[in-house]
Parts: sequence; C-alpha cells; structure tokens
Amino acid sequence: MTTGLPVSTILLITGFALALIGIWGMLTHRNILRIIIGFAVMDTGLHLVMVATGYITAGTAPILDVALSPADAPHRAIDPIPSALVVTAIVIGLSVTAVMLAYAIRLYAAKKTLSIDAFTESKW
Amino acid sequence: MVEALFHPLNIFLLGLGGGFVIPLLYRLGKPWLHAGFFVALIGIVAVSGVSFAGLLQGGPTIEVLTAGSQPPLSINLRFGLWEGFFTFGVNLVALLGALHLWDRLKGNYGALLLYLILVMGIDGMVMTRDLFNLFVFLEIVSIATYGLLGLERRSAAVSAAFKYIMATVIASTLFLLGSVLLYYVTGTLNIDALIEHRAEITGPIGTTALLMVLACLVIELKPFPANGWGLDVYETAPSGIAAMVSVGVSAGVFFALMKLLPLFQDQLGIIAISGGISFLFSNLIGCTQTKVQRMLGYSSISQMGLMMLALALLTEIGAEASIPLVVGGLFVNHLLAKAGLFWLAGVLRQDEVDARTSLSGRPLLLALLALFMVAIAGLPPFPGFWAKWELVMQLTSAGKLPWIAVILTGSLLEAAYMFHWFVRAMRPSDARAEARPDTVALLPVYGIALLLVVAGYIAARISGAASLWIFAPLAVGVVLCALDRLPGRLKAVLMLIAVTLVGFWLAESATGIARLFAVLLLGGSLVIAAASLYRDDPRPGYFPMLAVLLLSIPALLRSTTSLEFFFSWEIVTLASCFLIAKGRGAGPHVLTFLLFSLLSAFFLLAGFAGIASVSGTTSLSALLTAGPDATTALVLLGIGFLIKAGAIGVHVWLPGAYAEADDDFTAMLSAVVSKVAIFGLLTGTYLAIRSQAALELAHGMAWIGMLTTIAGAVMALRQTDFKRLLAYSSMSQLGYIVTAIALMSHLGWVTALYLVANHMMVKGILFLAVAGIILRTGTRSFGETGGLARAMPITFILFVVAIVSMSGLPPLMGFGGKWLLLSAMTDKGWNFLAAAGLFATFLGFLYMIRLVAGLFLGKRQRGQESVRELPIALLVPQALLVVGILVLSLYPKLLMDPVSAAIDPQFASTLVWEGMSLYTIYGYWNPTPVMLIAVAVAAALGVIAWLVYRSGVGRTGNLARFYAYYRRGIEVAVPPVATLFWQGVTDFTLATAATFRQVYTGNGQTYAMVVLFYFLALYLASTGPAGFWIAG
Amino acid sequence: MMRHILVAILVLLFGLIFARMVGGYVELDALRPLALDYVTRAPVELGTPNIITGILITYRGFDTLGEVAVLFMVAASVGLLLKKDDGKASVAKVSSDKVTGEKTAAAKPVLARTEAARAAAARAAAAKANASARAVTTGTMAVKSARGAEPVEDEETASQREPSEIVRTGTEVLLPLIFTFGAYVIVNGHLSAGGGFQGGAIVASGVMLMLLSRPGMKLNVALLSIVESFAGVFYVCLGILGLVLAGGFLDPRFLPIGTLGAFISAGAIPIISALLGIKVGAELSVIIDRFRS
Repeated sequence: MTTGLPVSTILLITGFALALIGIWGMLTHRNILRIIIGFAVMDTGLHLVMVATGYITAGTAPILDVALSPADAPHRAIDPIPSALVVTAIVIGLSVTAVMLAYAIRLYAAKKTLSIDAFTESKW
Repeated sequence: MVEALFHPLNIFLLGLGGGFVIPLLYRLGKPWLHAGFFVALIGIVAVSGVSFAGLLQGGPTIEVLTAGSQPPLSINLRFGLWEGFFTFGVNLVALLGALHLWDRLKGNYGALLLYLILVMGIDGMVMTRDLFNLFVFLEIVSIATYGLLGLERRSAAVSAAFKYIMATVIASTLFLLGSVLLYYVTGTLNIDALIEHRAEITGPIGTTALLMVLACLVIELKPFPANGWGLDVYETAPSGIAAMVSVGVSAGVFFALMKLLPLFQDQLGIIAISGGISFLFSNLIGCTQTKVQRMLGYSSISQMGLMMLALALLTEIGAEASIPLVVGGLFVNHLLAKAGLFWLAGVLRQDEVDARTSLSGRPLLLALLALFMVAIAGLPPFPGFWAKWELVMQLTSAGKLPWIAVILTGSLLEAAYMFHWFVRAMRPSDARAEARPDTVALLPVYGIALLLVVAGYIAARISGAASLWIFAPLAVGVVLCALDRLPGRLKAVLMLIAVTLVGFWLAESATGIARLFAVLLLGGSLVIAAASLYRDDPRPGYFPMLAVLLLSIPALLRSTTSLEFFFSWEIVTLASCFLIAKGRGAGPHVLTFLLFSLLSAFFLLAGFAGIASVSGTTSLSALLTAGPDATTALVLLGIGFLIKAGAIGVHVWLPGAYAEADDDFTAMLSAVVSKVAIFGLLTGTYLAIRSQAALELAHGMAWIGMLTTIAGAVMALRQTDFKRLLAYSSMSQLGYIVTAIALMSHLGWVTALYLVANHMMVKGILFLAVAGIILRTGTRSFGETGGLARAMPITFILFVVAIVSMSGLPPLMGFGGKWLLLSAMTDKGWNFLAAAGLFATFLGFLYMIRLVAGLFLGKRQRGQESVRELPIALLVPQALLVVGILVLSLYPKLLMDPVSAAIDPQFASTLVWEGMSLYTIYGYWNPTPVMLIAVAVAAALGVIAWLVYRSGVGRTGNLARFYAYYRRGIEVAVPPVATLFWQGVTDFTLATAATFRQVYTGNGQTYAMVVLFYFLALYLASTGPAGFWIAG
Repeated sequence: MMRHILVAILVLLFGLIFARMVGGYVELDALRPLALDYVTRAPVELGTPNIITGILITYRGFDTLGEVAVLFMVAASVGLLLKKDDGKASVAKVSSDKVTGEKTAAAKPVLARTEAARAAAARAAAAKANASARAVTTGTMAVKSARGAEPVEDEETASQREPSEIVRTGTEVLLPLIFTFGAYVIVNGHLSAGGGFQGGAIVASGVMLMLLSRPGMKLNVALLSIVESFAGVFYVCLGILGLVLAGGFLDPRFLPIGTLGAFISAGAIPIISALLGIKVGAELSVIIDRFRS
C-alpha cells in the first residue's frame, strides 16, 4: 500500500461516486420507491465521504483499549468528530427515508401508481 | 429563581420534554393532552418573551452552555436581542397558529407533539451557535413539517408534500456535507470560531463547502425558479400549516442565513441577486394566480427574497445600523400579515380568488383583509412601510439605483395581485350570506391584527417618526370606527366635529404656502363633507375613513420631513382608495386607482430618496438647499405628482374612480383630494427653481398640463354620462393648474393658487349638484335628463354660477386665474401654448354648454314630472361655496394677500417680477383685451363647428344632435390611446408571467433537478468556470 | 430523453466539483487542536474510553437529544400518515380492487379476516411497487406492469402468510442472540464500539425478523410508545439533573466517574446510553410495525 492513493482518498472517491449514482438514480427513475433508493444511496455515499475526512494517516478508532493506550491516543487516534457526526447523520437519513416511504404508501393509496409523473396536481 | 425559570434553555426542556410526555398524557385523556400541550407552548412563549424583555431592558446577552463545558468543545446557544426578537415573534405567532389549527390538532397527539417540537426546532435554529447543531435543528424542523403536512390527506396535498420532501432533503444534504467539510477545513464547528477563522476557508473543499451551506439556506428560502415544491405546499397544505411554513420555518432559515452571513462576505452579491430574482419573478408570476393560498405562497417567497436582498445589500454597503429596522421590520411585517392572511383564507375557506364567497356583508372581516393587504403591500402605518422607506433611502445613498427599480417594481406587482383579491372579495355577491365563521376561529386573526398595529407603531418609533400628530388621523378613525353602529347622520356630525377640532389643530403648525393650502382645503372639505348628511343610510366604515382622509391632508401639509410627508401621502391614497371602493360599481376602478397611486408613490419615494442622498437629510427644508445634483430626483418627484394629478397618459385611473365613487365623495375627490397632488407639484417645482437645474423641463411640464387640459375637454365632450363628463372636466381643469405651476414664476404660482381655490369650490358645487340630480332622477345619462331648471331652480342658479366661474368668464373669480395664465404664457413667449390654451378654452365652453343645456334646459323627460328641488343638505354646502366664489370674486385681495405672503418669503430673490410687484403686474396686464380675444376666437370656432354640422343634409338645429355628431367624430379621430397602452402593459405583464410560470411543471422530480441545478448556478456564479476544473 | 441528457450534464458537473474537491483533499496527518482536546480530555473528564460516545452523549449531547427528537417525530409522523381510521377506506379499496382481479374463491378468505387482509393488501402494494420497479423504468409503463404483475404477487402473499419451517426455527434460534447482542452493544457503549443508537438498531432488526417470520403477530405498540416516551422523559430529566447537580445541561458527571474502563463508570453515560437504546429500539420497532399495517 505504499504506492497509489491514501486510503481516505479512495474512500472519498468511492463516496462521491456513490453519491453521483444516487443523484442519477433519483433523477432518472420514475418509480417513487426507486427515487427514494436514489436518495438513500446518495446519503450513504456522502456519509462515507464524511467519515473519510476524519481519517488521520495510519490512525485507528478513538477507543482507548489494549490497542490504544491513553498516551498513544493523541498520535494514533483518528478525528472522532466526523464519526460522531455521521452517527447523527445516519439516524437522520434513516428518519427521512422512513417518512418518504410512508408518503410513498399514501401516494400509492391515492392513485394506485408509484410513478412520479402521476402526481402533478398542483402546478403554476 | 425567576431567572432560572425563564432561562432560554427551558424552551428546549419544554419543547422536548413536552413532546415526549404528550403520548403519555394522551393515555390519561384528552383534557390532559390539551392542557399539557398548551402548558408547554405557552411556556415556550413566556420563556422567550421574558428573556427578550430582559434583554430589551439592557440585560446582557444570554449564553447557553451545555454539557458543563465551554465551546467549542460543547454546543452552545445564544439568546441576544436578535434571537429574542425572532424567537418571541415566531413563538407568539405559533401559539395563535395553534388556536387556528385547533380543529385539526385537538385530540391528535401525533400532530400536537410535532407542532410543539416544530416550534422548539425553529427556536433552536435561531439560537444555536454550532453549525452541525444547526443542521440537526433544521432536520427537526423539516421532519416536523413533513409530518404536519400529512394532516391534509387529499391526493394533491400528499404529492405536494412529497415534492417538498425531495427538495428539502437535497438542500439539507448539501448543508450536512458542507458543514462536515467545513470541519475538515477549519477543525471546528462553532460558528463564532468559523467566523473568526473565515480567512482559512479556502481551497476547493473550503469554497465548495461554504457554497453548499449557503445553497441550502437559500434553497430553503425557496428561490425562483427552484421553488415549485414550496408553492405546491403553500397551495395544498392546511392554512395553519402553510402559514407556519411561510412565516415560522422561513424565519428560522432566514435567521440562520443572517447568523452565518459573516462567512458569506464574498457571496453577498449572489445572495442579493438571488433574493432580487425571487422577489421580482414571484411577484410577476403571482399576478396570474387565482388560487388564494398559492398566491399567498408567491407573496411569501417574494417577501423572503426581499429580506435576503435587503440583508445582503445593507451589509455590502456597510449600513448595518439600518438592518434592525429594515430586516426586522420586513420580518415582523411578513410574520404577522402573512400568517393573518393565510388564516383568514382558511377561515373563509376560500380557495379561489374569484370564488363567490363575498365579504361584502361582513365589514369586520373585510377590514381585517384590508389591514393585512395594506401591511403586505408595504403601506403605512405598518412595519413594512418604515422598513421599505429606510431600505430605499440607504440604497439610494449608496447609489444602488437598479436595485430600487427592482424593489419598487416587485412591490407594485405584489400590490396588484393582492389587491386584486381584495377587490374580488369585496364585490357585492348575489349569493346568500353563508354561515358566519365562528368567533373562536377568528380570534387568532384578530390577535395577529392587533400585534401588527403595535408593531407598526414600534417601527415608527424606531424610524423616529412617531409623533402624536402623525397618528392623529388614524386615531380619530379608530375612535369613529368604534362608534360605527350609530345612525348615519349622527356619525356624519361626529365626523365633522372631529375633523374640525383635530384638523385645525393640525393645520395650525403648517407654515407658508402649506398653511394656506391647509386652511383652504380643510374649509372646503368640511363644507363638502357636510353634504353627506343628505343620505341617512348607515354607510358602514365611510365616516371613519373619511375622517382619516380629511385629517391626513392637513397632517401631510404640516410635515417637516419627507418621511412624514410620504406617510401622510400614502394614508391619503389608502383612505381615498377604500372610500372609492364603497361606490357600487367601483370594483375594477379601485384597483386601477390604487395601482396608479402606488406607482406615483414609488416615484415619490425614489425622488425623496434621491434628494436625501444629495442633501443628506430627509428634512423637507432640504429642498431649499438642494443643488443641481437633484435634477433626477426632481424629475422623479414631478412624475409622481403628475400621475396623481391625472396628467395626460397616466390619467386612465381618474375618470373611472371619479365616476364610480359615491356621488358626494366624488365631490370630495375632485375638489379637495386632487389638490394634494397639486401641492406636491408646487413644492417639487420650487425645488427646480431653487436648483436652477430643471428650468428647461418647465416648458415640457407646461405642455403636459395643456395637453391634459385639451385631452380632458375632448374626452369630456365624448361622454353621454354627465358625472363622467364632470370627471373629465376635472382632469381638464387640473391641467390648467399644472400649466400655471410650470410657469415657474411668482405670477404663475399666484395663478395656480387662484385656480386651485376656484376649482375646489366650483367642482364642489358641480359634483354635489350632480349628486342631487342623480338622487332625484336616478340616472347619469344626458339622454334621460333635461329641463330640470324649473324643477330645481336653486340648484340651477348655483350650478350656473359655478359653470361661469369655471369657464373663466367675468366677473367671477375663475376669470382672474385663467386670463392671467394666457397672458403670462404669451409674455413668456410660449405662443403655441397660448394658442393651445385658446383652443382648450373653446372646447371647455362646448362641454360646459352641453352640461347646462343637457341637464337644465330643453324638455322635461317623461316620468320626471314629480322631480323636486334637491335636499337642503346638498343645497347648503353648494350655497356656501357659491358665497365663497362671490366673496373672492369681489375681494380678490382676501386671497391675494395671504397668497403673496405665503409665496414671498420662499421666493426670496425672484419675488419681484421684472421689477414689478404683484399688484402692478395685475394692473399692468389688463386682462380684458386678452379675454375678449379669447372669447371671440372661441365664438368663431363655435360658429364654424355649427356650420360644419349644419352643412350636412337633414341636420336640424338641435343642440343634442350637434353634440352627438361631434361625439362620433371624436370617437373616430381620438382613439383611447392611453387606455389601450395601459391595457397593453397589463396584457404584456400577464403574458410574461404566464410564460415564466411554465417552469412549474408540477413534477417533483423535475423540481429536484432544478434545485440541484440551482446549486450549480450558485456555484458557478461564485467560483466562475474554473470551479469545474480539477486544478481550478 | 431530454431529461436524461440534462441529468447527465448535472451529474457530470457534480462529478467535476467532486473531482476538484478530491484533488484538493489532503489526508490529515495529525489531530487538530479541538479533536486533540476531545481525545485527551474525554477519557479524563468523562471517564469513557470510547471517545465518540463521550462526544455523542456529552459534548454534543444536545445534538443527540435533537436526534432522538427526530426519531421520535418520525414515529409520530409515520403514525399520522398511515393512520388507520382514515386509511381504512383506502386500504379497503385496495383489497376490493384486488378482489375484482381475483377469483372469488381466493378472495373470500382474504376478506374473512380483515386484519390479515389489511396486512396482505399493504404487502401487495409494496410488492407491486417492487415488481413494477423491477420490470421497467419509465413511469407510464410501470403502471401497466404493476397491473400485469398482480396474480404473481397474490401467490407470493399467500405463501408469505405461512412461514416455512426453516424460517420459524431460525428465528427462534436467532432472536435471543440478536436481542442479547443488542443489549450488549447498548450497555457497553462507553467502553467499546457501540452505544444506544447502534444497539437500538440491532434490537429493532430483531423485531423486524420476528415480524417477518410471523406476519400475523401483533406488536404491543401502545406499550412500546409508553416505553419510548418514558425513555425520552428520563433522558431530559437526566439532562436537568446534570444542570442542577453538575456543570450544565446534559452533563453526565453528577454520578461518579469511576475508573476508566470499568463497566460501571463514566458517570451517567451508560444510563443515558441505555435509555437511548431502549428509546431507539422501541421507536424503530414502532415504525416498522406501522409500515406493516
């Protein structure tokens, strides 16, 4: 692993790529469930990006145990903040997905279809 | 202890604790549930209110720490004046909103807890000082909104909510990524620390992250064109929820933007442009909207745009000191008025603007609607007025003129569609009155209206314009409103007493020429107002509004600053507008009147701002010292006053408004109210003379005046409706006055004032007489009148006296004015103008003869045998005015002396005209020959016209047919160019709006795409094309 | 087609922005001052070896409280959206729609047990959506195929009603393990990777498995929501205790910190963690259950 990209850069690229896939999915698919999946994929990708930005070269999880003594921690622990933030972000992402799915059910109940094109009642 | 009880942290304890407890209370029973909800919500309001009050009394900003550690280690919150203002405002409205929504909320514990946490979330967005915590609160607010949107289960509402979710999720995702990346760049999430280390936020990641945060906030404020999702929600959500989204959620987001603004110092221009586009386009597209809630949605978006624009521009020009008044004023105005409008729309269950749910039978509701509209349109006395004034002043002094054009255009468009709704709501409906909305449902609406009034007063205090006298007209109006249940005539008497007492008190402080106007107009208006005793119906709302109007005129005349002047000017406009609206057929004309009045007002605003930026003060005395730099300002002022004076081209508002107002009120409009514009024009021209800059413009103005006179006369000749004929005659006469003013000399001014006095009395008599004739005969058409001289001899005599005075024939006072005018023009070398004046005189004679002949001479119409003399209540005022004419005709010095005294000190050096004092001039210019020539010319023209008419085959010597012949000729020769032009402008505006609103396809996925493109556009605008290049 | 081009441009532009950011990214090689503060102070001040938990529950506890509120609101929102009283009509409509498409013989048992019918209908709706998603991409066609796929799904629903032997046994074996593991993750949050959210999610996944394997089973939602509420109230109360007894709102140090790494240590963090776990587990279970009905 001496050559090539640092590990967090790889994560970053993967995350962004996932986000792009998510965007593509949510804007091209007509089925609402797929659109929601698009959102979820985008979210996941960006969570990955966020975690990656907290990485410190050759760092490890910021949990003091046998592997990481308190004295070592300042040098070897990764930045704990992005990880903490991502926990929150994941929960919120999940919440939003749940609400969207609930709406999808209601939309289906209203029109018996899940095509986004069918729900253009209000315009102009 | 009290401090601990009302510590801002308790907002969150109450919100979250209350939220968590609600499901438990639900198990205990509904009373518990409801009590718990209100305890928590009222607690939140109380906490924010008490803390805010503490700050207002000079208490220190409250820092809220959590977790027993100092920031940036832990999250902290701040409760300063701004935070207190926003949270308290939003919480209070949320409390009233809960009452409004009560039908849907009660018993529904899910909705109750969502509502409670929503309110807490908005407070959190306002108070938090941690970027990521801001994201969490944003999500709390969003998810609460998503949930509450589910209260409405119609398919359209559900799909609108889904679109809303898609767009806001994208926005908050941007925020999330942006804030984490900002942490990566700076190593902190504390907002204060970020602002401190603003310089470190560079590089591709830093810039992009910053733009993502900005884009989220801007998108959450629903910028055009990425806002279809927001509009759909406004349209379909329950009114209470839509109101909460419009005022509450937006307030939180806007505050977040304000709080983070120091980070966006490089993006101020982008924020301003984004706000400006939203403001202009939302208002434009709003014009084509017929669904009430969606229309309110456009208005909401535009208001947010305006606030963004104001915030960014004021920061950019370094006018931070004005931000509290401007942004605070706009915010509180929007908060209260928009919530009120949404609720009112909900209470009335009105979906369509055109729906036949007429309010005409419910004056109180109509008054509320009017109140909110006036506030939204940025008219006094509400906070939006003071805010817009200050904004325009600041922008002008910074030279940001295009922005002023944007603001004023947008405001005009907004007023257009809002008042269109008002006019629609007001029109009498044939439908039976439906069940009245219950009082409880209206309570929040009343509450918010009250708050709006209070807020207006506070804003006036901050503007430094809150004095007793400036609010005196409104105060009298309110008192009379409270007595509105009394019988009509009693109210009229009370109104006359009030106007006399307060009016002369107001007029007392006016000085110079303004004092002269004040006394003259007050006297005239009292006499004419007394004529309203001829009707004995209750006329709900008429007398209070009339009192406001009549008192605002002296208030305007005694103003010492342009702000005071403009305030009273707008009140005069509004009061006349509402009074015109009381006329039966006034509907469509009210809107035209209002729009042209607002157009005029905006020109004035721009003009005053221009002068203030040149002279550095808003004092009206600054007009004396303004130099040649003020030319643009002068032109703007002149245009504004000319619009209001009904000059040619912009006169289209005048005939309809005059003709369709209540008959006795038309007399007031023509005789008294029109003179306010003339006063303005006099003051404005005075500026021109002082600045020596715009003398060449005077010639142009003289032509405008003369063309107005001719056009008015021609159009008067075309009428078959005699009230309309008089309306055009008013326009024509005002043209003479404009020309006189344009003479820009002492003599011209004396002439103008002479004409003003004359016109006031003459038109008072004529319109009152016409009011009586309409009362007796029930018609306004020449075809159905004639030969009334015998039936109403007194009226006939008074009428003829007035006509003679108006025509300028000796020996009455009109004579002095008009011939002086003609002489002065020849003397100045304006020969073409003088010739045009002769022609105008001829046309004037023609329509005056027609008026007298058509009404009083000839044969009586069938069925009018029993027509009697006019009621005494109409005759006495007319007689008084005739006495006035006679006195002034016999003793011109009575008017001349005060006029000279008033004008002389102001004219200083130009006082003496070519070495002669006024009396010498009057004696030197022997007017008789001029008059003889003019009458001869007129007679000759008349004979020619008659001969032309008789030359045709089979034409008899019937006067009515003579006029009918020429009417046809005029109709062919003079198409209604101005009307067609303005119709074209309207059509063009609507067509443009219809084109632009094509972006709202209704497809949520497209909206999501537009939102993403919006981010890209912001990004591109900020970084340039290099931002899309890896090494850029 | 037009849309695809636009989206392609959009994705491309975002790709360029992202690429530029990746280009500007430098992996950090040392902790920044604030992060260093956390790493050095959290174990000392809070006595928690898991620094992330320390941050989540204490320093950024306000965020976590908000996050709990978000989950709580989602449970309420989903409940509001999928409420039965109003929903009954529409669900009944769905099943009646189905009836018309089905043979009457098959329809009778469905209608006989309304509870099961409702569940089946909802599943059918979801399955239909899946099927349509699988079948085609364009919207209009999705509608058609959803209709076409109907009979197939009905077979599926029928088979789902009775879980197979393997599933049932597997569930019986796995469930206790999952719940125990969830509890372990919850209570060890302050010591090792894990915590309330993670453990709560594990518990909820167990609940999900349970519901999948026994579709007819009813969850005691009322009890769960009471538990959830109490957990929330206690959480706020612990926060207030911190305010009164220790340094500030949500300060867990009103209980002794104990020794670093001991099970009972780190002040109130384990208690808060446990409350969080209970709350998250209960909330997610409620949400899952609401989607079922």
